[in-house]
Amino acid sequence: MSEFPEGRDETFRRLYAAHFDAVLGFALRRADRPEDAADVTADTFLVAWRRLGHVPQGLETRPWLYGVARRVLANQRRGEGRRSALGDRLRRQLATVSLDTADEVVQKADVTAAMRRLSARDQEVLELHLWEGLEPREIAEVLGTTTVVIRPRLSRARARLRELLGNDPAPPGHLPSRQPALIPKEGR
Amino acid sequence: MTTPKLTDEAVAALPIHDGRVELLEEIMSSPVIDRVTEPTSPSGRRTPRWVTTVAAAAAVVTVAAVPLYLTRDGGDPSGTNGAPGATGVESPGGERAILTTAGWTVDNVNDDEKWGGEVGYSKGSQHLAVTWYPASEYDSYVTDREHINHPEVDQGQAIEVLGAPARLWAYTANDHTVIRTAGDRWFLEVRGDGMDKQAFVALLGDLQLVDKVGLETSLAADFVTQEERPGAIGDILDGIGALPPGLQASDVTSSEPDRYHLGADVSGAVACGWIAEFAAAKSAGSESRMAAATDALAASHDWPILREMNDRGDYPEAVWDYADQVAAGKVPEGYRQGLGC
Repeated sequence: MSEFPEGRDETFRRLYAAHFDAVLGFALRRADRPEDAADVTADTFLVAWRRLGHVPQGLETRPWLYGVARRVLANQRRGEGRRSALGDRLRRQLATVSLDTADEVVQKADVTAAMRRLSARDQEVLELHLWEGLEPREIAEVLGTTTVVIRPRLSRARARLRELLGNDPAPPGHLPSRQPALIPKEGR
Repeated sequence: MTTPKLTDEAVAALPIHDGRVELLEEIMSSPVIDRVTEPTSPSGRRTPRWVTTVAAAAAVVTVAAVPLYLTRDGGDPSGTNGAPGATGVESPGGERAILTTAGWTVDNVNDDEKWGGEVGYSKGSQHLAVTWYPASEYDSYVTDREHINHPEVDQGQAIEVLGAPARLWAYTANDHTVIRTAGDRWFLEVRGDGMDKQAFVALLGDLQLVDKVGLETSLAADFVTQEERPGAIGDILDGIGALPPGLQASDVTSSEPDRYHLGADVSGAVACGWIAEFAAAKSAGSESRMAAATDALAASHDWPILREMNDRGDYPEAVWDYADQVAAGKVPEGYRQGLGC
């Protein structure tokens, strides 16, 4: 098949280089332990390697990878996932590295606490929006649904979070510039 | 949840270079199994539009179908192998449910023969969503709800709903959900928001089991029954006007009883066709075809169905946004996902 003009190996190396931090970040923000995030990252990229011909290109690549990572993580949470056979060194490094970089988190602890009070469905949509900086179209891609579903769901989730934080919420933590702030009214 | 929510930039700065490099090499040394991985659906990555509303409703449920993704037979969690549909035969009397309490209005309905559906009711600031999912997904939904306060595990409170055992969980003091033991084809989940537990449980007592026909006949006249649907689709298409090349009116179908969802199916089919035509015309360098597609999409601002839908959701805005991008000469990125093409 000529679906990899640069060759399969080079195509995957580029994919890995471009998205490793994002996938590991996605996993770290959700896993209970850093070493679990290593397993999620390893298995996510293993799926991408095996199914490279199905990985969408361009802006759709990352939501696709997040969608895979989300499923891997869910398997892990319900105990069906096993420790990845790969990534042992990454697991050991993450188990020992200091992650205590309080100034470089996607949101403050009070927002995290408030988000835990939302339903699982609201939480997930908000996390993808606030932590990964995804827009409704991309969130829909991760969750396997459409923007028609996500736009109102995100709108409601934001409203619920605003209610939990009070009428005059502080900005949601130290957000990277590419990530959206929680604004009073959605896009209108 | 003890791991800090690091930014990607902070992750990039972690001293894990060796592990990162080693993992890459390990992965690339592993065998490639491409043979079985063509999507089973002829539409490839496209997932049914309203159907996945249901399938993706819970945070982590769709994995149940693919828990062995790294087994040697090549299954995987990339979601492209399809998801489980309902296969059993619905019990006589039905396995869907409707609310019979006076004063509540239906504000959302969708129903799909494979994936299930939902009726949303509201009364002021109170909301009740009655959802039916394929029975095959029962275990995964229960597991998900047991982890509402993850990492705590809550088995839920045992109660009875419509004569069958069920389990109840609280998201908050005014937001509860209950999952009823699966029937032959579907299982029911009912979620009440904006009411305390006592009020929620009282409403559960006003539910009534129905089948698809029972569901449709319970709806107000402004919902579209199966018999009315072809006529309604025809009316919507009349309001839209020109259809893109290759799309016949008879190609446009929907199973949705709610005019919003029905309108999205119909207008989406037309908009998708015109955007695809624009893209094809642009590739072919055909100015006249590009102009025709641009004009047809620009007219979407006046499509009666989109104007009707505009008060209820953002689907019309999505169509109009794509139309405006086409007017600017661009093929909108991701429009297939955005519109559910």
